[in-house]
Amino acid sequence: MKEKLLIWIAVLIVSVFMGTIFWLSGCAPSAEETAFETSAVQETEAETAEAKESVVEKVAITYWHTMSDAEEVALKKVIEMFEEQYPNIKIEPTRVAYDDFKPALLTGIAGEVVPDTARLDIIWVPEFAEMGALVALDKEMEGFDEIIANTYPGPTSTNFWKGHYYGLPQDTNTQVLVWNKQMFKEAGLSEPPQTIDEFVEYATLLSNPDEEVYGYTMGGTYFWAPAPIFYAMGGEITDPEITTATGYINGEKSVAAYQLLVDMYKDGSLSPYVLGGGGVGAFEGLATSKYAMIIEDPWAYPILKSDYPEFEVNFTLVPKGPDGTTSSVVGGQNVVIFEGSQHKDEAIEWAKFLLSEEAQLTIGETGAIPTLTTVQGNERLPEYYDVFMEQLKTAKARLPHPKWSEIDNVLNNAFQYMLRGEKTVQQALDDAAEEINKLIVEG
Amino acid sequence: MKVGNEILNKSFFKKILKSKGAYFLLLPGMGLFLTFILFPLIYSLRMSFYKWNIVNPGSSEFVGFSNYVKVINDPIFIRAAFNTIVYALMTVPGQILFALMVAILLEQKIRGRTFFRVAFYITVITSWVIVTLVFEYLFSGQAGLVNFVLKDVLHLVNEKIMWLANPILVMIPLNLLGIWKGVGWSAIIFLAALQNIPPELYEAAIIDGAGIWQKITKITLPLIRPTLVFLVVVLTIGAFNVYISGLLMTDGGNPLDLSHFILTLMYKKTFTYLDFGYGSATSYLLAAFIFMISVIQIKLLRRRVEY
Repeated sequence: MKEKLLIWIAVLIVSVFMGTIFWLSGCAPSAEETAFETSAVQETEAETAEAKESVVEKVAITYWHTMSDAEEVALKKVIEMFEEQYPNIKIEPTRVAYDDFKPALLTGIAGEVVPDTARLDIIWVPEFAEMGALVALDKEMEGFDEIIANTYPGPTSTNFWKGHYYGLPQDTNTQVLVWNKQMFKEAGLSEPPQTIDEFVEYATLLSNPDEEVYGYTMGGTYFWAPAPIFYAMGGEITDPEITTATGYINGEKSVAAYQLLVDMYKDGSLSPYVLGGGGVGAFEGLATSKYAMIIEDPWAYPILKSDYPEFEVNFTLVPKGPDGTTSSVVGGQNVVIFEGSQHKDEAIEWAKFLLSEEAQLTIGETGAIPTLTTVQGNERLPEYYDVFMEQLKTAKARLPHPKWSEIDNVLNNAFQYMLRGEKTVQQALDDAAEEINKLIVEG
Repeated sequence: MKVGNEILNKSFFKKILKSKGAYFLLLPGMGLFLTFILFPLIYSLRMSFYKWNIVNPGSSEFVGFSNYVKVINDPIFIRAAFNTIVYALMTVPGQILFALMVAILLEQKIRGRTFFRVAFYITVITSWVIVTLVFEYLFSGQAGLVNFVLKDVLHLVNEKIMWLANPILVMIPLNLLGIWKGVGWSAIIFLAALQNIPPELYEAAIIDGAGIWQKITKITLPLIRPTLVFLVVVLTIGAFNVYISGLLMTDGGNPLDLSHFILTLMYKKTFTYLDFGYGSATSYLLAAFIFMISVIQIKLLRRRVEY
């Protein structure tokens, strides 16, 4: 008898485990829902009486982000302001390291425990939208058009995928030229380059490869690094509708842009460590007169100021290309709402609040450039933002496409082939065009 | 003997009844195993046959073996597999050789023996991330110590070597790191085996006039053979699973996707490019390969030695 009992207990425990597994994997969603509903109904009935007198229960909205320490402090203030205005909502922020963010979100999606809202890198929005993980805000959010009417079009466009907007631009950034005035002076130059021709000329003048001193350097070969020069030279990856790369990435202007960088690399005015061999970091090299010019985003200012307080940080616009216009690349992040959210209405309120002038200014003070045109030039924002705001007027967004990560890899490899002399610029970009076309067609 | 036969004669079900207590106690562990190991294993096996849709798994498209075909025909995967096999061929013998030397030295009665035993084990408990970054600094092109020694101290090379930007040269720091980090662990295992060898054998050998080399080859090695087999198998499995060092030092396959290991490629395909089918198929191919290698190793190396 005893033995049988033990077996029954064993079988019971195993079935409970297996049941839990199936439940977790979502094989029995209907059973789950009914169970929840019943208990919910019972609870509501029991609590109705109390609830009538006491405060309404708070709805918790989760918000995942990759903010810096300084931004996090500002975020805390923004949350306080929001919760004061919406006493029924509680914001629960979670900070995730940038490199872990995408895996964390994907695991969350697979396990059906997504955050309600998140601040995503702009390049990821089309990817998550294509997956069906994001709420189309232009459909769900009241007053969406009025909000984006006051934002910069560049950052806002990064939320658009297949006819809908899947996020709001929370902050933005771009890259501008940072130059070492001391080195310029010693070389008999007083002003930073205004045109690409001057840029190349100065870079050669300022370089001394034997001493490992270079006129210009980049963080690597991934597209973000050459993008400002690429766009200033009029380069394009695909047509505006993203249907083909042929004639765009391997078009005349794109080829000229990459050719210029390859030539600089060959004559020693662009640091050879752009290949990734572990050179002195861009900020360190700039501040210690190893590099005369770098092209960087707004974080350059606080980093240089804290690590090299003596160094005079000078920003200027990216040199003008042959067409006489400057340009650069748009970065930044968007606030999005996940389809899995149980409290979409409250999540929408939070997203809207992040786009309010007060929230934008509070976080904007710490280095994240606001996306609202209405706060431009506000005295609360640091002075060095002006040049970035000016650059943003002409800066272009990278291809807003779900396959961007792979396209970026294609461009990275193409640039490596050129620098290593394994392919000519034209050849490398012809091959890249073909690969990108394949990625676009596969969708 | 009689008891043993009795158990053997009973059916499997009756055996369960007989040893009820043990099976009952196994349940919690079994539960965890089923939930966190077996279930994900089966789930990812299923994924490897689909063009997987992570948001809505129900709408995933069944593609048969095409993920596997795609993986095997991918030149990047072939290169990654090659890199991984070379890594195993370098680091497994490397670790065993150095570990055996270290273990024999640590077995001697020398002053500060405990200190050295701890010192050699420290590499094992350090974090992979930190030691990888240290090796990256050592081999960094512009300001690395290795280049400084080669060029400015020994004058062996005229130009600084770009270790990390060259898909073949970057394997040198990666393999060295793999050996360096693993020696301590294998040495401790060897040490335990060495201590089990009866000292009388060595004493007898000395009387017979055996030298140190003969003692090692005729007594030590044959007697620690089971440990050796264990280490070869475990270290090989470990080598095929190399991941963190590669991910950090090559930034996920840079340059030109030529410096991937199997697992860094799997990670990039899965979590950067969201190709879950490719990722799952890769991991199943890897698992099958490791299983095959381990079986061959055990068959080849296991042979009883008795003295």
